Amino acid sequence: MASSDSRQYGDLATQLVQESRRSTLTDTLLKYNDTLVRTIIREQRNLEDLINSAIAAQADSAALTTTDAPALLLYQTAILRNKRCLLAYHAHRLDRLKDMYWALGGALPALLADNELRSRMSPHEVDFLREYNTSIMDFRGDFSAELDIAASITHPPRDLHALVRVVRDCGVIETELGTIDFRKGQRFMVRRADIEHLIVQGYLEEV
Amino acid sequence: MPPRRTLLDDDEDFPMAGALTRAAAAAPDPITLDFGAPPETLFQQLVRHWLNERHAPDILPVQAEVLGALLDHIRRQTDTVQALRGDPDSSEAEHVRIMLVQTEVERVKFVVRSYIRTRLYKIEKFARYVVATPEVQEKLSQTELDHAKRFSQLTENHFRVSVLQALPPHQQGLDDNTPFTPPMASEPDKSHAVIVHAREECPPVRLPDGTTMQMQKGQIVLTPYAVVEQLLAVGNVELI
Repeated sequence: MASSDSRQYGDLATQLVQESRRSTLTDTLLKYNDTLVRTIIREQRNLEDLINSAIAAQADSAALTTTDAPALLLYQTAILRNKRCLLAYHAHRLDRLKDMYWALGGALPALLADNELRSRMSPHEVDFLREYNTSIMDFRGDFSAELDIAASITHPPRDLHALVRVVRDCGVIETELGTIDFRKGQRFMVRRADIEHLIVQGYLEEV
Repeated sequence: MPPRRTLLDDDEDFPMAGALTRAAAAAPDPITLDFGAPPETLFQQLVRHWLNERHAPDILPVQAEVLGALLDHIRRQTDTVQALRGDPDSSEAEHVRIMLVQTEVERVKFVVRSYIRTRLYKIEKFARYVVATPEVQEKLSQTELDHAKRFSQLTENHFRVSVLQALPPHQQGLDDNTPFTPPMASEPDKSHAVIVHAREECPPVRLPDGTTMQMQKGQIVLTPYAVVEQLLAVGNVELI
Protein backbone atom coordinates (compact mmCIF):
# COMPACT_ATOMS: atom_id res chain seq x y z
CA MET A 1 0.00 0.00 0.00
CA ALA A 2 1.52 3.25 -1.15
CA SER A 3 -0.90 5.41 0.76
CA SER A 4 0.79 7.92 3.05
CA ASP A 5 -2.52 8.43 4.80
CA SER A 6 -2.48 6.77 8.22
CA ARG A 7 -6.13 5.91 7.75
CA GLN A 8 -6.92 2.46 6.38
CA TYR A 9 -9.78 1.51 4.10
CA GLY A 10 -12.73 0.62 6.25
CA ASP A 11 -11.86 2.81 9.23
CA LEU A 12 -14.68 5.20 8.49
CA ALA A 13 -17.14 2.37 8.09
CA THR A 14 -16.06 1.08 11.49
CA GLN A 15 -16.86 4.50 12.94
CA LEU A 16 -20.31 4.31 11.40
CA VAL A 17 -21.02 0.89 12.87
CA GLN A 18 -19.74 2.06 16.23
CA GLU A 19 -22.35 4.78 16.11
CA SER A 20 -25.04 2.13 15.68
CA ARG A 21 -23.59 0.27 18.60
CA ARG A 22 -23.56 3.36 20.79
CA SER A 23 -27.12 4.04 19.76
CA THR A 24 -28.14 0.58 20.97
CA LEU A 25 -26.20 0.86 24.21
CA THR A 26 -27.62 4.24 25.12
CA ASP A 27 -31.04 3.43 23.70
CA THR A 28 -31.23 6.66 21.74
CA LEU A 29 -31.48 7.57 18.12
CA LEU A 30 -28.34 9.50 17.25
CA LYS A 31 -28.39 12.19 14.62
CA TYR A 32 -28.16 10.83 11.10
CA ASN A 33 -24.50 11.13 10.18
CA ASP A 34 -24.85 12.44 6.67
CA THR A 35 -21.21 13.63 6.41
CA LEU A 36 -19.75 10.27 7.34
CA VAL A 37 -22.11 8.40 5.02
CA ARG A 38 -21.11 10.67 2.13
CA THR A 39 -17.41 10.29 2.90
CA ILE A 40 -17.70 6.51 2.85
CA ILE A 41 -19.60 6.63 -0.42
CA ARG A 42 -16.71 8.72 -1.82
CA GLU A 43 -14.28 6.09 -0.57
CA GLN A 44 -16.33 3.50 -2.42
CA ARG A 45 -16.05 5.42 -5.69
CA ASN A 46 -12.36 5.86 -5.08
CA LEU A 47 -11.89 2.13 -4.51
CA GLU A 48 -13.86 1.38 -7.65
CA ASP A 49 -11.52 3.64 -9.63
CA LEU A 50 -8.50 1.88 -8.15
CA ILE A 51 -9.92 -1.47 -9.18
CA ASN A 52 -10.63 -0.24 -12.69
CA SER A 53 -7.14 1.13 -13.16
CA ALA A 54 -5.60 -2.06 -11.73
CA ILE A 55 -7.62 -4.12 -14.20
CA ALA A 56 -6.61 -1.80 -17.04
CA ALA A 57 -2.94 -2.07 -16.08
CA GLN A 58 -3.26 -5.81 -15.98
CA ALA A 59 -4.87 -5.92 -19.42
CA ASP A 60 -1.87 -4.02 -20.76
CA SER A 61 0.69 -6.39 -19.36
CA ALA A 62 -1.39 -9.34 -20.67
CA ALA A 63 -0.27 -11.66 -17.88
CA LEU A 64 -1.45 -11.61 -14.31
CA THR A 65 1.29 -10.06 -12.25
CA THR A 66 1.84 -11.23 -8.73
CA THR A 67 1.45 -7.72 -7.34
CA ASP A 68 -1.91 -6.93 -8.91
CA ALA A 69 -3.96 -9.88 -7.71
CA PRO A 70 -3.61 -9.21 -3.96
CA ALA A 71 -4.31 -5.52 -4.53
CA LEU A 72 -7.54 -6.33 -6.36
CA LEU A 73 -8.62 -8.65 -3.60
CA LEU A 74 -7.89 -5.98 -1.02
CA TYR A 75 -9.92 -3.33 -2.83
CA GLN A 76 -12.79 -5.71 -3.39
CA THR A 77 -12.87 -6.75 0.26
CA ALA A 78 -12.85 -3.13 1.37
CA ILE A 79 -15.71 -2.32 -1.00
CA LEU A 80 -17.86 -5.17 0.24
CA ARG A 81 -17.16 -4.41 3.86
CA ASN A 82 -17.92 -0.70 3.48
CA LYS A 83 -21.16 -1.47 1.72
CA ARG A 84 -22.18 -3.88 4.45
CA CYS A 85 -21.46 -1.29 7.11
CA LEU A 86 -23.41 1.39 5.25
CA LEU A 87 -26.43 -0.86 4.90
CA ALA A 88 -26.16 -2.13 8.48
CA TYR A 89 -26.11 1.45 9.74
CA HIS A 90 -29.25 2.33 7.82
CA ALA A 91 -31.01 -0.92 8.71
CA HIS A 92 -30.21 -0.40 12.37
CA ARG A 93 -31.70 3.07 12.27
CA LEU A 94 -34.86 1.77 10.61
CA ASP A 95 -35.22 -0.76 13.44
CA ARG A 96 -34.88 2.00 16.01
CA LEU A 97 -37.44 4.15 14.21
CA LYS A 98 -39.86 1.23 14.10
CA ASP A 99 -39.33 0.60 17.82
CA MET A 100 -40.16 4.21 18.60
CA TYR A 101 -43.18 4.06 16.33
CA TRP A 102 -44.56 1.00 18.15
CA ALA A 103 -43.71 2.38 21.58
CA LEU A 104 -46.12 5.22 20.84
CA GLY A 105 -48.81 2.76 19.81
CA GLY A 106 -48.41 3.64 16.14
CA ALA A 107 -49.12 7.33 16.67
CA LEU A 108 -47.01 8.70 13.82
CA PRO A 109 -48.10 12.37 14.12
CA ALA A 110 -47.01 12.36 17.77
CA LEU A 111 -43.64 10.90 16.77
CA LEU A 112 -43.06 13.44 14.01
CA ALA A 113 -44.31 16.32 16.13
CA ASP A 114 -41.22 15.94 18.32
CA ASN A 115 -38.99 18.48 16.56
CA GLU A 116 -35.87 17.51 18.46
CA LEU A 117 -36.31 13.88 17.44
CA ARG A 118 -37.19 14.77 13.91
CA SER A 119 -34.03 16.80 13.47
CA ARG A 120 -32.08 13.59 14.07
CA MET A 121 -33.77 11.78 11.19
CA SER A 122 -32.80 12.02 7.56
CA PRO A 123 -35.55 13.14 5.16
CA HIS A 124 -35.58 9.64 3.69
CA GLU A 125 -36.21 8.21 7.12
CA VAL A 126 -39.23 10.44 7.59
CA ASP A 127 -40.53 9.21 4.24
CA PHE A 128 -39.91 5.65 5.34
CA LEU A 129 -41.88 6.14 8.55
CA ARG A 130 -44.79 7.67 6.64
CA GLU A 131 -44.98 4.76 4.22
CA TYR A 132 -44.44 2.23 6.97
CA ASN A 133 -47.32 3.81 8.85
CA THR A 134 -49.54 3.47 5.78
CA SER A 135 -48.73 -0.22 5.51
CA ILE A 136 -49.32 -0.82 9.22
CA MET A 137 -52.63 1.07 9.08
CA ASP A 138 -53.72 -1.35 6.37
CA PHE A 139 -52.66 -4.25 8.55
CA ARG A 140 -54.41 -2.82 11.62
CA GLY A 141 -57.56 -2.30 9.61
CA ASP A 142 -57.99 -6.05 9.34
CA PHE A 143 -58.42 -6.35 13.09
CA SER A 144 -60.03 -3.02 13.87
CA ALA A 145 -63.44 -4.55 14.60
CA GLU A 146 -62.04 -6.49 17.54
CA LEU A 147 -58.88 -4.91 18.86
CA ASP A 148 -56.11 -2.45 18.23
CA ILE A 149 -52.99 -4.46 17.51
CA ALA A 150 -50.83 -1.40 18.10
CA ALA A 151 -51.74 -1.19 21.80
CA SER A 152 -49.12 -2.12 24.36
CA ILE A 153 -47.82 -5.67 24.57
CA THR A 154 -45.21 -5.08 27.26
CA HIS A 155 -47.36 -5.80 30.31
CA PRO A 156 -50.23 -8.23 30.46
CA PRO A 157 -53.38 -6.58 31.78
CA ARG A 158 -53.64 -6.88 35.54
CA ASP A 159 -54.78 -3.60 37.03
CA LEU A 160 -55.41 -2.14 33.63
CA HIS A 161 -59.02 -1.37 34.34
CA ALA A 162 -60.74 0.88 36.72
CA LEU A 163 -64.46 0.89 37.32
CA VAL A 164 -65.37 4.53 37.49
CA ARG A 165 -68.48 6.57 38.19
CA VAL A 166 -68.89 9.89 36.46
CA VAL A 167 -69.19 12.69 39.00
CA ARG A 168 -69.19 15.58 36.56
CA ASP A 169 -69.99 15.60 32.85
CA CYS A 170 -66.74 15.69 30.93
CA GLY A 171 -67.78 15.11 27.34
CA VAL A 172 -66.50 12.67 24.75
CA ILE A 173 -63.22 10.94 25.54
CA GLU A 174 -61.20 8.61 23.32
CA THR A 175 -60.61 5.24 24.95
CA GLU A 176 -59.50 1.86 23.71
CA LEU A 177 -63.15 0.85 23.50
CA GLY A 178 -63.91 3.76 21.23
CA THR A 179 -65.26 7.17 22.11
CA ILE A 180 -67.23 7.36 25.31
CA ASP A 181 -69.47 10.25 26.25
CA PHE A 182 -69.02 10.53 30.01
CA ARG A 183 -72.29 11.73 31.55
CA LYS A 184 -73.00 12.18 35.22
CA GLY A 185 -74.20 9.05 37.03
CA GLN A 186 -73.00 6.53 34.45
CA ARG A 187 -70.52 3.80 35.20
CA PHE A 188 -67.74 2.65 32.94
CA MET A 189 -65.16 -0.04 32.88
CA VAL A 190 -62.28 1.76 31.23
CA ARG A 191 -58.56 1.52 30.85
CA ARG A 192 -56.95 3.26 33.77
CA ALA A 193 -54.37 4.84 31.44
CA ASP A 194 -57.13 6.39 29.33
CA ILE A 195 -58.85 8.17 32.16
CA GLU A 196 -56.22 8.59 34.88
CA HIS A 197 -56.13 12.34 34.26
CA LEU A 198 -59.91 12.58 34.60
CA ILE A 199 -59.82 10.99 38.05
CA VAL A 200 -57.12 13.46 39.08
CA GLN A 201 -59.23 16.36 37.83
CA GLY A 202 -62.23 15.10 39.74
CA TYR A 203 -64.50 14.24 36.81
CA LEU A 204 -64.50 10.54 37.61
CA GLU A 205 -64.47 8.58 40.80
CA GLU A 206 -63.34 5.00 41.23
CA VAL A 207 -66.07 2.67 42.44
CA MET B 1 -70.54 -49.95 27.36
CA PRO B 2 -71.18 -46.50 25.88
CA PRO B 3 -73.37 -45.21 28.77
CA ARG B 4 -70.73 -46.40 31.21
CA ARG B 5 -68.03 -44.44 29.39
CA THR B 6 -70.04 -41.26 29.58
CA LEU B 7 -70.33 -41.72 33.30
CA LEU B 8 -66.61 -42.27 33.60
CA ASP B 9 -65.89 -39.18 31.57
CA ASP B 10 -67.79 -37.00 33.98
CA ASP B 11 -66.33 -38.49 37.11
CA GLU B 12 -63.11 -36.63 37.74
CA ASP B 13 -62.45 -38.17 41.16
CA PHE B 14 -62.54 -41.73 39.98
CA PRO B 15 -59.76 -43.75 41.62
CA MET B 16 -56.78 -44.08 39.32
CA ALA B 17 -56.35 -47.86 39.66
CA GLY B 18 -59.99 -48.52 38.78
CA ALA B 19 -59.79 -46.16 35.86
CA LEU B 20 -56.74 -47.92 34.58
CA THR B 21 -58.31 -51.37 34.51
CA ARG B 22 -61.57 -50.11 33.11
CA ALA B 23 -59.95 -48.07 30.42
CA ALA B 24 -57.66 -50.95 29.57
CA ALA B 25 -60.65 -53.23 29.31
CA ALA B 26 -62.53 -50.80 27.12
CA ALA B 27 -59.69 -50.31 24.65
CA PRO B 28 -56.06 -51.35 24.67
CA ASP B 29 -55.04 -48.04 23.15
CA PRO B 30 -53.23 -46.09 25.90
CA ILE B 31 -54.73 -42.83 24.65
CA THR B 32 -58.01 -43.73 26.38
CA LEU B 33 -56.18 -43.13 29.65
CA ASP B 34 -56.48 -39.44 28.91
CA PHE B 35 -60.24 -39.40 29.04
CA GLY B 36 -60.16 -37.29 32.18
CA ALA B 37 -58.31 -34.40 30.55
CA PRO B 38 -60.70 -31.80 29.15
CA PRO B 39 -60.08 -30.79 25.52
CA GLU B 40 -58.07 -27.64 24.99
CA THR B 41 -60.20 -24.53 24.78
CA LEU B 42 -59.69 -22.11 21.91
CA PHE B 43 -57.84 -19.77 24.19
CA GLN B 44 -55.54 -22.50 25.48
CA GLN B 45 -54.78 -23.42 21.89
CA LEU B 46 -53.91 -19.84 21.07
CA VAL B 47 -51.71 -19.55 24.17
CA ARG B 48 -49.84 -22.67 23.05
CA HIS B 49 -49.38 -21.32 19.52
CA TRP B 50 -48.42 -17.94 20.93
CA LEU B 51 -45.64 -19.45 23.06
CA ASN B 52 -44.51 -21.60 20.14
CA GLU B 53 -44.38 -18.53 17.93
CA ARG B 54 -42.45 -16.55 20.51
CA HIS B 55 -39.86 -19.27 20.99
CA ALA B 56 -39.42 -20.53 17.45
CA PRO B 57 -36.71 -18.88 15.35
CA ASP B 58 -38.77 -19.51 12.20
CA ILE B 59 -42.17 -18.17 11.19
CA LEU B 60 -44.78 -20.82 12.06
CA PRO B 61 -47.96 -21.44 10.04
CA VAL B 62 -50.60 -18.86 10.88
CA GLN B 63 -53.39 -20.22 13.11
CA ALA B 64 -56.10 -18.58 11.09
CA GLU B 65 -58.97 -20.75 12.38
CA VAL B 66 -58.17 -20.38 16.06
CA LEU B 67 -57.53 -16.68 15.63
CA GLY B 68 -60.68 -16.11 13.59
CA ALA B 69 -62.87 -17.99 16.06
CA LEU B 70 -61.38 -16.09 18.99
CA LEU B 71 -61.77 -12.73 17.28
CA ASP B 72 -65.43 -13.55 16.60
CA HIS B 73 -65.81 -14.49 20.22
CA ILE B 74 -64.17 -11.28 21.40
CA ARG B 75 -66.52 -9.28 19.22
CA ARG B 76 -69.61 -11.08 20.51
CA GLN B 77 -68.52 -10.69 24.13
CA THR B 78 -67.71 -7.03 23.63
CA ASP B 79 -71.11 -6.42 22.04
CA THR B 80 -72.88 -8.21 24.89
CA VAL B 81 -70.92 -6.27 27.48
CA GLN B 82 -71.65 -3.04 25.64
CA ALA B 83 -75.38 -3.79 25.63
CA LEU B 84 -75.47 -4.74 29.31
CA ARG B 85 -73.40 -1.77 30.36
CA GLY B 86 -75.62 0.63 28.48
CA ASP B 87 -78.66 -0.70 30.35
CA PRO B 88 -79.38 1.65 33.28
CA ASP B 89 -81.19 -1.16 35.14
CA SER B 90 -78.05 -3.30 35.49
CA SER B 91 -77.53 -4.14 39.13
CA GLU B 92 -74.28 -3.95 41.08
CA ALA B 93 -73.90 -7.73 40.84
CA GLU B 94 -74.24 -7.54 37.09
CA HIS B 95 -71.60 -4.84 36.95
CA VAL B 96 -69.24 -7.17 38.77
CA ARG B 97 -69.93 -9.91 36.27
CA ILE B 98 -69.44 -7.49 33.38
CA MET B 99 -66.14 -6.50 34.90
CA LEU B 100 -64.99 -10.10 35.08
CA VAL B 101 -65.94 -10.76 31.49
CA GLN B 102 -64.21 -7.62 30.33
CA THR B 103 -61.04 -8.36 32.22
CA GLU B 104 -61.01 -11.77 30.60
CA VAL B 105 -61.63 -10.24 27.18
CA GLU B 106 -58.70 -7.88 27.78
CA ARG B 107 -56.49 -10.81 28.72
CA VAL B 108 -57.45 -12.66 25.55
CA LYS B 109 -56.88 -9.52 23.51
CA PHE B 110 -53.44 -9.16 25.02
CA VAL B 111 -52.45 -12.63 23.88
CA VAL B 112 -53.98 -12.13 20.43
CA ARG B 113 -52.15 -8.83 20.10
CA SER B 114 -48.87 -10.29 21.24
CA TYR B 115 -49.29 -13.25 18.89
CA ILE B 116 -49.94 -10.99 15.91
CA ARG B 117 -47.11 -8.65 16.80
CA THR B 118 -44.64 -11.49 17.32
CA ARG B 119 -45.42 -12.73 13.84
CA LEU B 120 -45.23 -9.21 12.46
CA TYR B 121 -41.79 -8.76 14.00
CA LYS B 122 -40.46 -11.93 12.40
CA ILE B 123 -42.14 -11.19 9.08
CA GLU B 124 -40.49 -7.78 8.91
CA LYS B 125 -37.17 -9.20 10.01
CA PHE B 126 -37.24 -11.83 7.27
CA ALA B 127 -39.25 -9.79 4.75
CA ARG B 128 -36.85 -10.28 1.84
CA TYR B 129 -36.60 -13.99 2.55
CA VAL B 130 -40.41 -14.27 2.74
CA VAL B 131 -40.88 -12.49 -0.57
CA ALA B 132 -38.31 -14.74 -2.26
CA THR B 133 -39.58 -18.04 -0.81
CA PRO B 134 -43.02 -19.33 -1.87
CA GLU B 135 -43.04 -22.13 0.78
CA VAL B 136 -42.81 -19.58 3.56
CA GLN B 137 -45.56 -17.49 2.03
CA GLU B 138 -47.99 -20.36 2.57
CA LYS B 139 -47.54 -19.96 6.32
CA LEU B 140 -48.72 -16.36 6.20
CA SER B 141 -52.19 -14.89 6.10
CA GLN B 142 -52.99 -12.66 3.13
CA THR B 143 -52.75 -9.55 5.31
CA GLU B 144 -49.35 -10.62 6.57
CA LEU B 145 -48.10 -11.43 3.10
CA ASP B 146 -49.26 -8.07 1.78
CA HIS B 147 -47.41 -6.34 4.56
CA ALA B 148 -44.27 -8.42 4.00
CA LYS B 149 -44.22 -7.41 0.34
CA ARG B 150 -44.80 -3.76 1.10
CA PHE B 151 -42.22 -3.75 3.86
CA SER B 152 -39.59 -5.46 1.75
CA GLN B 153 -40.18 -2.92 -1.02
CA LEU B 154 -40.06 -0.09 1.47
CA THR B 155 -36.71 -1.04 2.99
CA GLU B 156 -35.26 -1.69 -0.43
CA ASN B 157 -36.31 1.78 -1.56
CA HIS B 158 -34.85 3.29 1.56
CA PHE B 159 -31.49 1.59 1.01
CA ARG B 160 -31.55 2.60 -2.61
CA VAL B 161 -32.18 6.29 -2.07
CA SER B 162 -29.96 6.55 1.02
CA VAL B 163 -26.96 4.51 -0.10
CA LEU B 164 -27.06 2.36 -3.18
CA GLN B 165 -27.88 4.89 -5.87
CA ALA B 166 -24.82 6.93 -4.91
CA LEU B 167 -22.50 3.95 -5.34
CA PRO B 168 -20.88 2.92 -8.61
CA PRO B 169 -23.19 0.68 -10.71
CA HIS B 170 -21.26 -2.48 -9.80
CA GLN B 171 -21.97 -2.02 -6.14
CA GLN B 172 -25.70 -1.33 -6.27
CA GLY B 173 -27.03 -4.86 -5.75
CA LEU B 174 -28.77 -5.93 -2.57
CA ASP B 175 -28.03 -9.62 -2.97
CA ASP B 176 -24.25 -9.84 -2.99
CA ASN B 177 -23.36 -13.45 -2.54
CA THR B 178 -19.78 -13.56 -1.38
CA PRO B 179 -18.01 -16.47 0.27
CA PHE B 180 -17.33 -16.27 4.02
CA THR B 181 -19.99 -13.65 4.65
CA PRO B 182 -23.57 -14.24 5.73
CA PRO B 183 -26.28 -13.65 3.09
CA MET B 184 -27.65 -10.12 2.88
CA ALA B 185 -31.27 -11.13 3.38
CA SER B 186 -31.72 -12.50 6.92
CA GLU B 187 -33.08 -16.01 7.13
CA PRO B 188 -34.40 -17.86 10.17
CA ASP B 189 -31.65 -19.72 12.02
CA LYS B 190 -33.06 -23.20 12.41
CA SER B 191 -30.12 -24.39 14.51
CA HIS B 192 -31.30 -22.05 17.25
CA ALA B 193 -31.71 -23.89 20.58
CA VAL B 194 -35.25 -24.35 21.88
CA ILE B 195 -36.69 -26.00 24.98
CA VAL B 196 -39.29 -28.53 23.99
CA HIS B 197 -42.04 -30.13 26.04
CA ALA B 198 -43.57 -33.32 24.66
CA ARG B 199 -47.37 -33.14 24.80
CA GLU B 200 -47.64 -36.82 23.92
CA GLU B 201 -45.40 -39.71 23.03
CA CYS B 202 -43.49 -38.64 19.94
CA PRO B 203 -42.21 -40.57 16.95
CA PRO B 204 -38.41 -40.78 16.94
CA VAL B 205 -36.48 -37.86 15.47
CA ARG B 206 -32.95 -37.75 14.11
CA LEU B 207 -30.42 -35.60 15.92
CA PRO B 208 -27.67 -33.69 14.07
CA ASP B 209 -25.06 -36.29 15.12
CA GLY B 210 -27.04 -39.09 13.46
CA THR B 211 -28.49 -40.70 16.58
CA THR B 212 -32.22 -40.77 17.18
CA MET B 213 -34.23 -39.44 20.07
CA GLN B 214 -37.67 -40.47 21.16
CA MET B 215 -39.51 -38.27 23.60
CA GLN B 216 -41.97 -39.64 26.14
CA LYS B 217 -45.03 -37.67 27.12
CA GLY B 218 -44.14 -34.86 29.49
CA GLN B 219 -40.43 -35.01 28.75
CA ILE B 220 -38.55 -31.73 28.41
CA VAL B 221 -35.46 -31.44 26.24
CA LEU B 222 -33.12 -28.76 24.91
CA THR B 223 -32.45 -29.23 21.20
CA PRO B 224 -31.83 -27.36 17.95
CA TYR B 225 -35.07 -26.10 16.44
CA ALA B 226 -34.57 -28.06 13.21
CA VAL B 227 -34.80 -31.37 15.11
CA VAL B 228 -38.32 -30.79 16.37
CA GLU B 229 -39.64 -28.69 13.50
CA GLN B 230 -41.84 -31.52 12.18
CA LEU B 231 -43.08 -32.57 15.64
CA LEU B 232 -44.04 -28.97 16.34
CA ALA B 233 -45.93 -28.70 13.06
CA VAL B 234 -47.96 -31.81 13.93
CA GLY B 235 -48.54 -30.66 17.50
CA ASN B 236 -46.70 -33.49 19.28
CA VAL B 237 -44.59 -30.99 21.16
CA GLU B 238 -44.75 -27.40 22.35
CA LEU B 239 -41.98 -24.87 22.96
CA ILE B 240 -41.56 -23.51 26.45
